[in-house]
Amino acid sequence: MTTATDLALGSESAAVGKPRRPRGPRQHYAKVGLTPLWLLTPAGLVIVALVGAPIVYLIITSFTDSNAFTLNTGQFNWVGLKQYTTTFANVDFWWALVRTVLFTAAMVGGSVLIGMAVAQMLTRLGTVIRYIVTVVLILAWAMPNVASSQVWKWLFEPGFGVINWLVTQTHLFGNTLDVNWPQNSSLAFLCIWLLIVWQAVPFIALTVYAAQTQVSPDYVEAARLDGASEWRIYWSVMLPFLRPTVMLMTILSIIWDFNVFNQIWLISQGGPNDATNTLGVYTYTQAFVSNNFGGGAAISIITTILLMLFTSFYIRSLLRSGEDL
Amino acid sequence: MTTSVPGLTYVSPLRRRKRRPWLISIVAILFCIVWIFPVYWMVNTSFKPISDVLTTTPLFFPTHFTFDNYSAAVGQTDFLQNLANSVVVVVGTVLVSTLLAFFACAALTRFRFRGRRTIMVIILAVQMLPTVALLVPTFLVFGDLDLRNTLFGLVVAYVASVLPFSIWVMRGFFLGVPVEIEEAARMDGANNWRILWSVLFPLVAPGVISTSIFAFITAWNEYIVAYTFLSDQTNYTLPIWLASFSTPRTGTDFGGQMAASVLFSLPVVIFFLIIQRKLVSGIAAGAVKG
Repeated sequence: MTTATDLALGSESAAVGKPRRPRGPRQHYAKVGLTPLWLLTPAGLVIVALVGAPIVYLIITSFTDSNAFTLNTGQFNWVGLKQYTTTFANVDFWWALVRTVLFTAAMVGGSVLIGMAVAQMLTRLGTVIRYIVTVVLILAWAMPNVASSQVWKWLFEPGFGVINWLVTQTHLFGNTLDVNWPQNSSLAFLCIWLLIVWQAVPFIALTVYAAQTQVSPDYVEAARLDGASEWRIYWSVMLPFLRPTVMLMTILSIIWDFNVFNQIWLISQGGPNDATNTLGVYTYTQAFVSNNFGGGAAISIITTILLMLFTSFYIRSLLRSGEDL
Repeated sequence: MTTSVPGLTYVSPLRRRKRRPWLISIVAILFCIVWIFPVYWMVNTSFKPISDVLTTTPLFFPTHFTFDNYSAAVGQTDFLQNLANSVVVVVGTVLVSTLLAFFACAALTRFRFRGRRTIMVIILAVQMLPTVALLVPTFLVFGDLDLRNTLFGLVVAYVASVLPFSIWVMRGFFLGVPVEIEEAARMDGANNWRILWSVLFPLVAPGVISTSIFAFITAWNEYIVAYTFLSDQTNYTLPIWLASFSTPRTGTDFGGQMAASVLFSLPVVIFFLIIQRKLVSGIAAGAVKG
């Protein structure tokens, strides 16, 4: 943040052109020269002190055996790469990783596909119904996830939960009234998947819909005059326009879903038998339940690097695009 | 639970009338019923007396309307105490993060200097860090600084997590303000400080409001940091209150729990309805350009 040495007043519109070398008489920018520095300092200090420093501290911690004892006495030992080798040798870690990747793929796939379908549906609705659908979407989106997790537990409650009752009414699976979703390996996942997708679809649908309204209907008309089928029009005409938006939604969903914690923690606590124990939950239990801070730190760093690898191509395309940041 | 849209097709308004508009409308209505159901069930349960909550055949419409669950949730728990804690934390986070984001955006958009691009990339990358990853070091450091079990410590942690996104969103509003206005003010002899407050601030006010609401929602909803940091029940914020909700009634009090969920969600839902359009366009404009 303190590299802001070569300062000059922005005389051209900030949205156009590349950063250019400042020109003009020296005393001109000596007068205003330090303004951006002190404007940036408070925010910079907060980010450096509360994001930068903790990352450094996290890396240091991952090379120690910090645990509950350290918490009380402040004493710890340097153990080198032991936390990393222990983590990589631990089969629980690999299962958590596989689970997280599969969960993320299922959640991202589900929410992006349903979101796109809903966006397409919105373009075909009359004003009144579209308004109603929008309000419904916002209500689902706006629910704080602690509250929605509570609602979910009540919906899927064994004995008196309404979902079990509804499933029983379909007569497809027999009497399911007493099924305990969070205590069944695959149903716990389905239950959490439904919650995440339910809350993720609105943002994706509204954003893709906003992008769709920007596409000129002329293209669609032209394709239709040429005899293209409706599916073909969506695939070959609409989708290329939507690609940047859909890409962005996918990347954001990957980041968010990879890091999902609250819903899993509140509904199943990673259980039963670790069936929903994703990397986030695994890290949390290592660090704050077993008080193995060194191990938790090592897993955190591995997770962060993995996430960065998953999303690096997006960051790189942002950098390469030459957008004037 | 899935929603099927038969034929993902775009139909121009002219043609729509000739085709079957009722079909897609029926699909839309079914979608709404499925999607709103959890919210409806929460509200429905919250107004039922205990005897109507636990029934073998669920009651889909409230027959004995009552506010008992709400009075239990407010009166028989630590609601008021925890609400006060939440308000303190939220107000602190909103004020500090918005002010810092405002200054930072002024520097990042109105001035050109070396390293500006790097700063924006860092701000973008920071948003990808898993919360749990930052939780380990902040937990240890805040413990050393005696900040862990305090509301002040919570504000500090929340400002750090909100700030990058606030800068990202507010920046878009700053970019929309023409530089000429600023230059005109400078010609008239206004100094930087004066330009910042009397010229820029009113022009980016919508951005300030959006950013504040975003910070409000994040701080109001945040669970895991508060859950890990706070050990005294008197310091609990509302998300912890809701997650560990219990009333003196016997068994799990689902009616009270749903009433508590409604109380907790209401402010956020209201603000979401206000800010929704700006959040969608703000995020999209900030990142789609690439």
